[in-house]
Amino acid sequence: MEAIFREIALFGGAFMSVFTLTELMVVMMATILGIIVGAIPGLTATMALALLINLTYGMNLNIALAFLLGVYVGAVMGGCYSAIMVNIPGTPSAAATALDGFVLAKRGEGGLAIGTGIVASFFGMLMSILLLIFLTPFLYKIALKFGQWEYFLLSVFGIMICGNLSTGKDPIKGWVVGFLGFFTAMIGLDKIYAYPRFTFGSLELMGGIALIPALIGVFGISEILFVLQEKIPYKIEGNIGRVLPTKKIMKSILPAAIRSGIIGVGIGAVPGAGEDIGAWVSYDIGKRRSKHPELFGKGSYEGLACAETANNAVVGGAMIPLLTLAIPGSPPAAMFLAAIWLHGIKPGPMLPVEQPGFLYRVAILLFFATVFMLVWGLIMAKPMAKILKVKREILMPIIVPLTVIGAFAGGVRGFDIGVMFVFGLIGYVLRKLDYPMAPLVLGIILGPMADVSFRQALMQGQGNLIPLLGRPVGIVLMFAIAFIVVTGIKRAMDYSKEQRELILAQQNSEQSNGN
Amino acid sequence: MEDVKKGSVSDFIMSILLLIFGIALIISSLNMKVFNTFLDAPGFFPMLLGIIFIFLGLMMLISSIRRKGPQQMGHVFGKANLGAFFKHIEFKRVMILIGLMVVYIFGLIGRMHFAIATAIYLFCTMWFLKSTGLVKNIIISVVTSIVISVVFRFVFNIPLP
Repeated sequence: MEAIFREIALFGGAFMSVFTLTELMVVMMATILGIIVGAIPGLTATMALALLINLTYGMNLNIALAFLLGVYVGAVMGGCYSAIMVNIPGTPSAAATALDGFVLAKRGEGGLAIGTGIVASFFGMLMSILLLIFLTPFLYKIALKFGQWEYFLLSVFGIMICGNLSTGKDPIKGWVVGFLGFFTAMIGLDKIYAYPRFTFGSLELMGGIALIPALIGVFGISEILFVLQEKIPYKIEGNIGRVLPTKKIMKSILPAAIRSGIIGVGIGAVPGAGEDIGAWVSYDIGKRRSKHPELFGKGSYEGLACAETANNAVVGGAMIPLLTLAIPGSPPAAMFLAAIWLHGIKPGPMLPVEQPGFLYRVAILLFFATVFMLVWGLIMAKPMAKILKVKREILMPIIVPLTVIGAFAGGVRGFDIGVMFVFGLIGYVLRKLDYPMAPLVLGIILGPMADVSFRQALMQGQGNLIPLLGRPVGIVLMFAIAFIVVTGIKRAMDYSKEQRELILAQQNSEQSNGN
Repeated sequence: MEDVKKGSVSDFIMSILLLIFGIALIISSLNMKVFNTFLDAPGFFPMLLGIIFIFLGLMMLISSIRRKGPQQMGHVFGKANLGAFFKHIEFKRVMILIGLMVVYIFGLIGRMHFAIATAIYLFCTMWFLKSTGLVKNIIISVVTSIVISVVFRFVFNIPLP
């Protein structure tokens, strides 16, 4: 009983600390900014957060939180406008939304589709905030049982499952990228003995690869190149009609929305598996469970709601492992983690002791952002057609100086700008070759933890592995990793076989044509 | 169909790179200093990574050989295909865009005021992309670079490069 009162007091305190005019204004402006960023194809939620991290450096913590969370929530929802009006997801999380949304827009129901998408996003956010508040304390209890060995296993588990989920068919590619992230984190002085690793005598490399410039490169520069590499003219379905969804639509999407909200939070809680994956998984399950699966892809409000509820539910879900274990649940959440590190907040099982009420502050700010998202989202539905007309050939070059400032501001080192640029090029090439970016980011973030906790765990056992193997949480994690490895390798082999047959079939047809 | 071929070839090249990288990682990590025991030596974790990269490289190699990756090398890197690739409009566009960024980041920034460097970069990039007319281009470049510089320097208090 006492514990409950304590929590209520903490909640009240957190509410008082963020419920001020300044915070509310910041959340509102940030959410609107997020909606616009999310709506414009090429500007993604992750990119926006990466660019904004250093902006928050001079702000006080509450304002910084309000700012980043507002942008995050807005951007994930904003993707639905362009997915529906233009058939190009404004941010990757809205890819599944386009399937039904664009069909509806062509039918003249674009406004209703957008309205439904926004309400579904609102619903997804509410569910995820509730689950965040109630699940996180339990996870704190589990996280307290984590020793060095478990942290090591967890970070390996993180990039393995992220690699597995974020590549369409070939998990090997995801793993390669994830471990490359680990390697990147090794560059510089080692965390135990300050021994220089892979620095090649360079003083600048001794400082290591700074996290934020690398993130900005991977999600900024590579995205800019990707968007500008070809000219895709697009047509906007400007006349969208009524926006507020009807009661009939609302009733029809409710069961799907509840299910998708839970799926979204679940996917969000998985390390690195972000909004886009959440939306796809939920859409896929929704299609199989629906009474009208034949309508999916042909303008189903239910399908639209599946995708939009889930991608926003990921936002709250992604905060759960972030706050309890310092493991981001999605790429934008990774940016959020980098930002709060900058402010000296160390998420993990000790967070409720060091920063009592932090969880509630995050949850309340998310709630404010959610309300603003609903209101402004509906207001902006009609003017959005004009915003989407801004040429990407003008917009994307302007992002370049912003990436430069973002990379430079943290350490005031010219070297960081170079790091940012090189990571942008690496990211671009890897993306061209169908490698996912999420595991790379997760690898860079989790690398130091994996390295240090692995060596310390071995030292604790004095080289004896038996005590380590007997720890219950560790056993669960090891089984999980083994499971991912086995299923992943099987998927990779299936993929290889499928491709081989394609090639053989083609060779046969070439030969028969030759005859 | 071209994509399938390219995929198997790029996997083949990547697998070789991974194998080399893995071996290099192991060698360099074995050369790192051992302080007390090897258990907490700085080189232990990189060595583990090296082993993982070799394993992943082998997996990829086997898969790409099954997909006839090595045999496709001749086709993908054949004169006709390579020539077409370098002449491809997309390749040229990306190369020029990267080139402009290199000039901006390594050539202009630091040698002149950030706003001037940015204005030059924006003007050239938008001119190349044919984003808009000449006059509008100049206006957008100049105004944006001044606004960005002022806002970041004085509103957000962030140092400019």
